[in-house]
Amino acid sequence: MSAHAEESVSVWHLRWLRLKRDRAALAGAGLLALLLMASESAPIYEAWQGVSGVDADLLSRFDPATAQHWLGSDDAGRDVFARLLRGGQTSLTIGIMGALGASIVGTLIGSISGYFRGRVDMVLMRFTDFMIALPQLPILIILAALDLTKLGFSSEFIRSGSAGYWRIVVIVTLLGWTGVARLVRASTLALAEREFVLAARAQGAPAWWVLGIHIVPNAITPVIVATTIAMGRVILAESGLSFLGVGIQPPATSWGSMLSNAQELITSAPMLAIWPGLLILVSVVAINFLGDGLQAAFDPRSDPR
Amino acid sequence: MTRFLLSRAAGAFVVLMAKSFVIFALIGLMPGDPVDLLMNANPDATPEDIAHLRQLYGVDTPIFERYWHWLTAAVHGDFGFSRLQHRPVWDIVIPALGNTIVLTATAFTIATVIAITLGTIAALKRGTWIERAIGLLAYTGISIPAFWLGLMLIYLFAVILGWLPAGGMPRPEEGIRGIFSHLALPVLTLVIVEIGAPTRYARAAMLEVLGQDYIRTARAKGLSSRRLILKHALRNAMIPVVTIIALGMGNLFSGALLTETIFAWRGMGRLILEAIMGNDYNLALVCLLFTTAAILLANILADVAYTKLDPRIGLGGRRK
Amino acid sequence: MSPILQAENLSVRFPAGREGWFGPKREVQAVSNVDLSLFAGETLALVGESGSGKTTFARALLGLVGHSGGTMRFDGADIAAMNRTARQAMRRTVQMVFQDPFGSLDPRLTVASIIAEPLRIHNIGSAATRRERVRALLVQVGLPPDAASRYPHQFSGGQRQRIAIARALAPAPRIIIADEPLSALDVSIQSQILNLMAELRDRAGLSYLLISHDLAAVHHLADRVAAMYLGRVVEVAPRDALFDTPAHPYTRALLDAVPRIGAGKRVPGGALQGDIPSPLAPPPGCAFHPRCPRASSVCAVEAPVLRVLAGAHQAACHHPLEIAA
Ligand code: SF4
Repeated sequence: MSAHAEESVSVWHLRWLRLKRDRAALAGAGLLALLLMASESAPIYEAWQGVSGVDADLLSRFDPATAQHWLGSDDAGRDVFARLLRGGQTSLTIGIMGALGASIVGTLIGSISGYFRGRVDMVLMRFTDFMIALPQLPILIILAALDLTKLGFSSEFIRSGSAGYWRIVVIVTLLGWTGVARLVRASTLALAEREFVLAARAQGAPAWWVLGIHIVPNAITPVIVATTIAMGRVILAESGLSFLGVGIQPPATSWGSMLSNAQELITSAPMLAIWPGLLILVSVVAINFLGDGLQAAFDPRSDPR
Repeated sequence: MTRFLLSRAAGAFVVLMAKSFVIFALIGLMPGDPVDLLMNANPDATPEDIAHLRQLYGVDTPIFERYWHWLTAAVHGDFGFSRLQHRPVWDIVIPALGNTIVLTATAFTIATVIAITLGTIAALKRGTWIERAIGLLAYTGISIPAFWLGLMLIYLFAVILGWLPAGGMPRPEEGIRGIFSHLALPVLTLVIVEIGAPTRYARAAMLEVLGQDYIRTARAKGLSSRRLILKHALRNAMIPVVTIIALGMGNLFSGALLTETIFAWRGMGRLILEAIMGNDYNLALVCLLFTTAAILLANILADVAYTKLDPRIGLGGRRK
Repeated sequence: MSPILQAENLSVRFPAGREGWFGPKREVQAVSNVDLSLFAGETLALVGESGSGKTTFARALLGLVGHSGGTMRFDGADIAAMNRTARQAMRRTVQMVFQDPFGSLDPRLTVASIIAEPLRIHNIGSAATRRERVRALLVQVGLPPDAASRYPHQFSGGQRQRIAIARALAPAPRIIIADEPLSALDVSIQSQILNLMAELRDRAGLSYLLISHDLAAVHHLADRVAAMYLGRVVEVAPRDALFDTPAHPYTRALLDAVPRIGAGKRVPGGALQGDIPSPLAPPPGCAFHPRCPRASSVCAVEAPVLRVLAGAHQAACHHPLEIAA
C-alpha cells in the first residue's frame, strides 16, 4: 500500500517533512527568498536613501561607504548597494525565467520522446546528444552576438531594453533543456507502462491528453529538481556572458555586467569586483543546496548529505 | 575493438559535419558580412566594386552553396584568411591550440587527481567534519563563477601580494620559472572550478563500491583496509569518475575560455572570443570546429577508458 | 446469435531484441492464431498460467498492442477498417478493468475526475450531467457519493477496484474486459468484488471477458471458459463441461492443482510439473508436450489444431481425455 501511495498527495506532505529537516536546503531557500525580495525592492531603497543605482553622479565618484551610500559609490558615482539590488533583479529573474523555459522545452521534448518511442525517440535523443556535445560557451557567445535583423526582427525591437533581456532568456533556454529532457524521458518510459495510462489509451485518448493529464503531472518530481539545478547554471551562464560584454547591455545591469565594469578597476576599487561575484556565488550555492535537498526529499533512496 | 573505434569515429565524423554546418549557419547570422566590413575600411569603393566583391565572396549565394565552397576548400587544407590578423587561419589556430592544451591538460590532470583523492577521503571519513568540509569545497567549485574567481586570485596574488604575474604569456627569457608562474593562476582557477562535480561523483562511486558484497567479503576475509581500498574499491570506483570527467571536456573548455580571457592567455578560448567579437568569420568557424572535434575525441576516449577499466562492460556500454 | 467481439486467427508478436550484438532480430510470439468469440450477455473466462498470452490477447483487442496477423471484429465489422468515429464508438462500448487497483488509477486525479475521464474523452454530457453520473456510479458500485472529491490513495484496495469498475461503467459499455480483477485483492474482498461484477452484469446486461487464473472465481462467474497455453487456445467449453470433464491434459492439470471445484474426479499428483517454456523458443509440435503426461511421438512433431469434440466443447490435442457427450 505505502509503496503505491508514494506519488500521492500525502507524499507531498512527507517530502515537505523531509525537506524541513534538511537545514542546508532550508537555508538555501530562505537565502534565495531574501535575495529576491531585497532585489525587487531596489526602487524603495533608492527613494528612501535618496540615491540611485542607475544615474551617474560625477560629483560622488568612488565615495567610501557612508550612511547614505551603504557600500560606497562606483566609478560613475552610482550607489553600489542600489546597483547590486538592481543587478540582482536581472540576474535572479533571468535565472528563474531561463530555468523555467529550459524545463518547459525539456519536458515537452522528453515526454514526447519517451511516449512515442521508436523513430521519434531516436531522432529527438540524437538531437539532444548533439546539443549536449556542442561547446556551450562559444555557442552562447555567437547566439548573443547574432544580428537579429537577419532573422527578420525589427531594429526598434532589438534596441528596446527588454529585447536584450529576453534574448538572454531565450539563449539560456535553448542550451539548457537537455538535462530536463533526459530525466523526463526516463520517467515517461516508466509511466507509459502504468495501468492508468493504459486505461486512458484504451479509451482512445489522444496523445496530448495522455501526456498532459497523466504523464507530465506524474513526472513533475524530476522536473522540479532539474529546474532548480538549471537555475544555478543559468545564473552562471548569464553572468559569464554579461562579463564578456555580450549579455545584459547598459543601461540595464546584472551582477555579471557589474563585474565586467569592475575588471579594469581591480587595483583601485577591488570592492566593486568583490560584491557582485560574492552575490553570484551565494545565490548559486543557495540554489544548489535547495536542489540537493529537493532531490533527497523527493527520492528517499538517494543518499542523504 | 577496431570495429568499435571505427564505428565511433564514423559517428563522430557525422556529428562533426552536422555541427560544422550549424556553426557555419550561425556565424552567417552575425552582424554585417565580409563585404560590408571591407567597405567600411575603404570609403572610395564604387557600387561596381561592391557588386564585384559580393560575387567574389559569394555573399549572396544560398547558404548550402557557400557551405559547400567552404567545405571543399577546408578539405584541401585551405581554411581561409583571418580578417583581423591578416594571416592564414591555420597559422593562428595551431599555436593557440598548443597553449590551450598546455593549460587544460595541466588543470585536467591536477583536478582529476585531487578530485579522486578528496572523493575517496570523503567516502572513507563518512559523517565526519572532513567529509562536510570536502563537500563544501565541491559545492563552492560548482557554484563559483570562473571569471570572478580569476579576478579574485589576480587581486590577491598579483595586486596585494605581488607574487605572480596578473596574466599574459611567459616570455622565452623567463625560462621554466616564467612558464610556471604564468600558468599558476589560470590553472588554479580551472582546477577549483572543475573539481566540484568529479569529487562528488568519486565520493558517491566510492560509497557504492564500499557497500558492495565483495568488498564486505574481502574485509571479512581479513584483507587490510588500506590494501583493499587501493586494490579493489578505487579501481571500481574510478570508472564512473573518469567517464564523468571526460564527458565534462566541453565544460572544461567553457571554463578555459573565461580563464584565458581573464589571464590574457593566448589560447583557443580567447581566440574564439576575439574572433566572434571582431566578426572574423573564418577564424571563429575553424576555432569552433577544432574545439568540437576535440570534445568528440575526448568522449570517444572516455568510452574506451571505460571499457578498458571495467571488463564487465562490452564496448558500447552494454553490461554483459 | 452472432458474436459482438470476435478474434479470428489473431497473432501478436513482440520484438525481443537481438541475439548478441549483431545477431538476428528475435521475436516473441505472444499470441498465436487465436480464434475466440464473445457473445452478447455472456461471460467468457480466459484461464492459464502467467505467460500464456491472456493479457496480451486482451490488450490487442483494445488496440493497446498492435497485432501482427488476423482480424478483430466488433459487431461483425472489421476493426482495422473502421474510421475514427466508429472506432471511438467501439472504444466506448468496450471497457477495461485492470489487475492492479493501485496502478490503474492516476494518483494525481480525484475519484470524480478518474470516473469521468471516459466521459470527457468521448465528449459525453455536460460538466453537470457528468457530475450526476459520477455520483450515481459511485452508489452503484457501493461507494459513498462523497468519495468523488477524494484521491485514490485514501481508499483500500477493494474500494479502489470499485472505483475502477465505476470508471469502466461510466460510458455505459456493453463489454467489460477484466484482466485479473481480483488477484491484487485480499481474499475477503475478492468475493465482494466478484458479487458486484455478477450483479452489474445481470442488471446492465454486460458481457465480460474475464481473465483470471483464479479458477474458483471463474467457476462462479463464467458461462464459457477458454484455456490458453503459450499463446494458443488449447480448449474452449461451457463452464460445467470444462470443469467436470476437461479434454485437454493442460486444462486437466490446471484443475488438478485446485481441488474441490467441479465434479470431475481428481488424480492426486497430477498437477503441472516444471516451468512454462520460454516463449522465445516454444517447443515444436504441441507446445505442451514436454510437460504432458499423455504425450506421444506425434505430439513432438505435429501441432494439434482446435477441433470440436462434442457440441460446444473444443480442444487442441492429439489424445484428448474422455468427455461426457
Ligand atoms: S497433443 Fe499430445 S502433448 Fe499436446 S496435450 Fe495432447 S497429448 Fe499432450
